[in-house]
Amino acid sequence: MVVLELEESSLLLDEKLLRFMDQLELLEEKRAALNSLIEQGWFSMAKARYSMGNKRVSALQYASEIEPLVCVHARTLDNGEVDFCTERSKQKARDEVGKEARSIEDIGPQEEGVRRRNKPKNNIPEKKEGEEASSEKAPEVTPIRKSDQNPQQDPLKWFGILVPQTLKQAQSSFTQVIELSAEIATLQTAILNSRQELKQCRKDKPILQEVSATRLEKLTD
Amino acid sequence: MSARGKLIAVIGDEDTCTGFLLGGVGELNKNRKPNFLVVEKETSVAEIEETFKSFLARSDIGIVLINQFIAEMIRHAIDGHLESIPAVLEIPSKEHPYDASKDSILRRARGMFCAEDFR
Repeated sequence: MVVLELEESSLLLDEKLLRFMDQLELLEEKRAALNSLIEQGWFSMAKARYSMGNKRVSALQYASEIEPLVCVHARTLDNGEVDFCTERSKQKARDEVGKEARSIEDIGPQEEGVRRRNKPKNNIPEKKEGEEASSEKAPEVTPIRKSDQNPQQDPLKWFGILVPQTLKQAQSSFTQVIELSAEIATLQTAILNSRQELKQCRKDKPILQEVSATRLEKLTD
Repeated sequence: MSARGKLIAVIGDEDTCTGFLLGGVGELNKNRKPNFLVVEKETSVAEIEETFKSFLARSDIGIVLINQFIAEMIRHAIDGHLESIPAVLEIPSKEHPYDASKDSILRRARGMFCAEDFR
């Protein structure tokens, strides 16, 4: 029985070792891809900087308020490994909703032909032309909406309205890097977990070997 | 984002931070500290280490990306981090390519084998 357990333990150890080696190989591949993508991103950024100017692509252009567009979900599995996956927010949908709301207000029928330029603030919520007022005031309202949208705006807009294609390519490269980073983080935790399991198996194996040896001695006696 | 996920923090030189912020990982507002640190020539090792430890202490950060040459400055702090979350990833910088032999994770994985194991 002990001999069988020893054999099973050896097979398990071999299996874990092979799995560990496979994980290391996969990590090396993903690392190479990550490094290559990062370098590509830097190269595109350098080309954008060349066409736009040194200071135009730098930390000076960061917005004063930034909201993250991508987050990572970490899920701990039963075996102790952690699975990381990224989620990107649908920032475009929000812009489109904003545009639709504005366009509805613009298209809405005007009840009165008279336009008041300087309206008292009390009248605005009471009247039905409140919608008109907001549509009339659309140009004034827009800056407020812009500041609401600013934190979640596309970071490309920090660098200007018309940015070169190279900067968009840089953004695309770094977007892929972010997704790959989550995969590498998952692999790293898996590798450390495999290492722990291997360590444990290697500790158990000599104990089983000793027990098996003493039982064999008893049988021969 | 459903069930507010965790952030990705970045400690790197200007180009690295700009790139990842372009990718959309950055957070900066009056209420919370930023999740990135732009390391310049004047940035002290103490500041880098303090920022790194603050990222580890935050429960809303899932991954910390750090240039490897900056990681070398605070190697003791990185080696001391044994939890799975946040995960620490060392990335290359423009002037310092990635060196697998310096990576904390790979050093831990490599260090488990000795000559006797292969007899």
